[in-house]
Amino acid sequence: MECGVRCPRRRRVRPFCTQTAMYRGPGFDFSNSLRNDFLQHKGVALPKATSTGTTIVGCIFKDGIILGADTRATEGEIVADKNCEKIHYIAESIRCCGAGTAADTEFVTAAISSNIELHALSTGRKPRVVAAMTMLKQYLFQYQGHVGAALVLGGVDSTGAHLFTVHPHGSTDKLPYVTMGSGSLAAMAVFENGWKPNMEVGRQPLSPALPSWYSNDNVRPAVQREEALKLVCDAVAAGIFNDLGSGSNIDACVITATHTEMLRNFVKPNERVAKELKYGFRHGTTAIKSEHIRSLVVSEEITPIRGEAMDVS
Amino acid sequence: MNSLIQRFAGSSSGIELQKRNATVVDDDGELSDVMWGSMAGFGSLAKGVPTFTVPSVPDPAAFLRLHTDDHADPSCRIKIQHGTTTLAFRYQGGVIVAVDSRATAGNYIASGTVKKVIEINPYLLGTMAGGAADCQFWETYLGMHCRLHELRNHERISVSAASKYLSNLVYSYKGMGLSMGTMICGWDKTGPAIFYVDSDGTRLRGDLFSVGSGSTFAYGVLDQGYRWDLTDEEAQELGRRSIYAAGHRDAFSGNSCNLYHVKERGWEFIGNYDINKLHYDGPGNGQGYGYEVRVEGKTSAVAA
Amino acid sequence: MSSFNPYTQNGGTILAIAGADFSVVAGDTRQSEGYNIQTRYAPKVFRLTDRAVLAVNGFAADGNMFVKKVKQRLEWYRHAHAKDMPLRSIARLIQTMLYSRRFFPYYVYNILGGIEEDGSGAVYSFDPVGSYERETCRAAGPAQSLLQPFLDNQIYFKNQQPAPGMSHPTHLPLQAVLALVIDSFTSATERHIEVGDGLEMYIILGKGRGLQGLEGVKGVQELTISEDGERIFVVRRELKKD
Repeated sequence: MECGVRCPRRRRVRPFCTQTAMYRGPGFDFSNSLRNDFLQHKGVALPKATSTGTTIVGCIFKDGIILGADTRATEGEIVADKNCEKIHYIAESIRCCGAGTAADTEFVTAAISSNIELHALSTGRKPRVVAAMTMLKQYLFQYQGHVGAALVLGGVDSTGAHLFTVHPHGSTDKLPYVTMGSGSLAAMAVFENGWKPNMEVGRQPLSPALPSWYSNDNVRPAVQREEALKLVCDAVAAGIFNDLGSGSNIDACVITATHTEMLRNFVKPNERVAKELKYGFRHGTTAIKSEHIRSLVVSEEITPIRGEAMDVS
Repeated sequence: MNSLIQRFAGSSSGIELQKRNATVVDDDGELSDVMWGSMAGFGSLAKGVPTFTVPSVPDPAAFLRLHTDDHADPSCRIKIQHGTTTLAFRYQGGVIVAVDSRATAGNYIASGTVKKVIEINPYLLGTMAGGAADCQFWETYLGMHCRLHELRNHERISVSAASKYLSNLVYSYKGMGLSMGTMICGWDKTGPAIFYVDSDGTRLRGDLFSVGSGSTFAYGVLDQGYRWDLTDEEAQELGRRSIYAAGHRDAFSGNSCNLYHVKERGWEFIGNYDINKLHYDGPGNGQGYGYEVRVEGKTSAVAA
Repeated sequence: MSSFNPYTQNGGTILAIAGADFSVVAGDTRQSEGYNIQTRYAPKVFRLTDRAVLAVNGFAADGNMFVKKVKQRLEWYRHAHAKDMPLRSIARLIQTMLYSRRFFPYYVYNILGGIEEDGSGAVYSFDPVGSYERETCRAAGPAQSLLQPFLDNQIYFKNQQPAPGMSHPTHLPLQAVLALVIDSFTSATERHIEVGDGLEMYIILGKGRGLQGLEGVKGVQELTISEDGERIFVVRRELKKD
């Protein structure tokens, strides 16, 4: 500073967005909540969060757990995603289906999955389902139901196969068969009718009374159609066809002590029929005001370098 | 509101409706005798003034507002179509009536081809702003009564009398939830005449009116260009240009402009003009109305 | 006691397209309330006369009752005047019937389709209190914001420049219209939860117009009663049930 006058000492004011201010710290950012409350009071509608409508189910069978889910994500009455994945990874032998607000289920399961991995490394043991359940319920209770995640958590650990439901406010239930979501009543009706303990993994022949969309194309060769898997698919199908919030395809996940198999789009009972007409638009349908073609390569000079040519196989 | 009407109105709609409901024979309020024989085709009009079913709740007006009023509650279930931006002015050559053609139901554009000028009879026009059904229904009804007047009196009805009839009619439903802002335009013994009539009971004679959500935009152009001694072409151009201004700037107005000219021997439909085309191409032999078309090449804006 | 709401929404979607000498009125057959399906087959499109078909959508109870009342009035007219009511008169009748309930509206969005006295196809659309307009095509119901822009593009050719030297046709042939209707409904079913189960299309053909356009369409059932010349058919298709 060249001025002869002695400038008053000023505290160096950090501008708002320095690099350190970019790091927001863990947890939720509530800085907009006051403004949003005010806007809502004035009549501005909150944007609709994508919700999964949904039918998610889980049941215990002889060798472990089977989880099932539909694949429709809705935004109000509109289908936002016709094939979203609702069975989330927690650990190798633990999976979690999510219903409710899609973002909430995604992030809560991802966070708990990450924490379970750290926990497993810290304890040196395979993670237990109750550990995941406890982490989820404590997190959800802390947010008093504002995190809209309703989950079906299932897995096999060193103590056996366990199946839980976790509600948005943090309560849990431990049951042999569970359903959640808007289609839960339809699915539970199927479970109540058909579930029995120790259902077989065995190679039962296909019942002739199966609906037409149970085609051979949908079977992975490694997993035969078990009684339990069929029950789970029937339960999810009941939700898909009778609940407007659920639809499209059926995902399933079979978890046993030795092996977890994710059956994405296991059954696809709702393929779209071919359209009647072709909807192409001729070039020029949208009026072109001006056309400017620029060549990105102005001039090119290739100099071969001594040595072998690049292997692009 | 209802008690105010009961005290000060002669026969308020509320009382009349309740009286009629009390003498009802069957559930849905229609006296079924009229339905037989040759009266069958004429429905409730055969009894005189149309009868209306009113819900038997303590406050029917509040009930209607709860279910249909867009302004108070945008998420109400029954979305009634509203019309917007109409204008009319009189000058030495008669009356020019110009309207847009957009109807909105909530935030959805329900139609871009609504006819907002209602042809009451070959020499009277009515415009539509506010509730589309209210305007359509009552102006058609007014047309019927104008014809009856002609038959009874061997003389055309004056614009003043027609507008007064309409005004008194809607006044009897004041407070019930009708929404109408209309201009009755015609040429009678006293010359060209425009009357503004609305569902609050206002009735005003005037030289120049614009009604609707886009009226402020239309006034801007209209007030600046209006003179008594316009020629026919200038007057039509003024009407068109004003509706274009409103359609361009108001979200609830637009699509196209319908232009009518009321002369001594009756009204004449001049044409339908797409507002988007007016923006780029103008009325046909002129330049586009849009400002970027007029200043192309002259602004400092960077070329695309 | 919690307050009683006399209205509810029963979902579904209807649409109508007018051709040069025919008219197609279609509606899906699902009736729902909230997330539940009340029934997979509840017709929303009704034959009024051999040249008029009315589709109703909104609150099913009001819709069904309204159709009943319209049919009653048409029958009285028929007895009084020894002929069927012409289409534009039916449209005006519907306006007065809806407006008579201005203060306790029928929660129904109506679309009337058929053949006018001059033989042209016509579609009239109404709002719940009776404002109406004659158009070439209209969709109504929860999925109207999905269908109407599609129809605006394919029927009115909005936002499409014609090929140089050509202009867009004012009316489309029957085959193209039926294909558009089916595609509209299968697409609406994909993206709207309240649309699905089944599709019913009523086709009204003008006098003297043969059956061209209907050959090759499966499952056509004729509903014509009178011998005036106009013919009316119904075609049913399945839609996705999820």
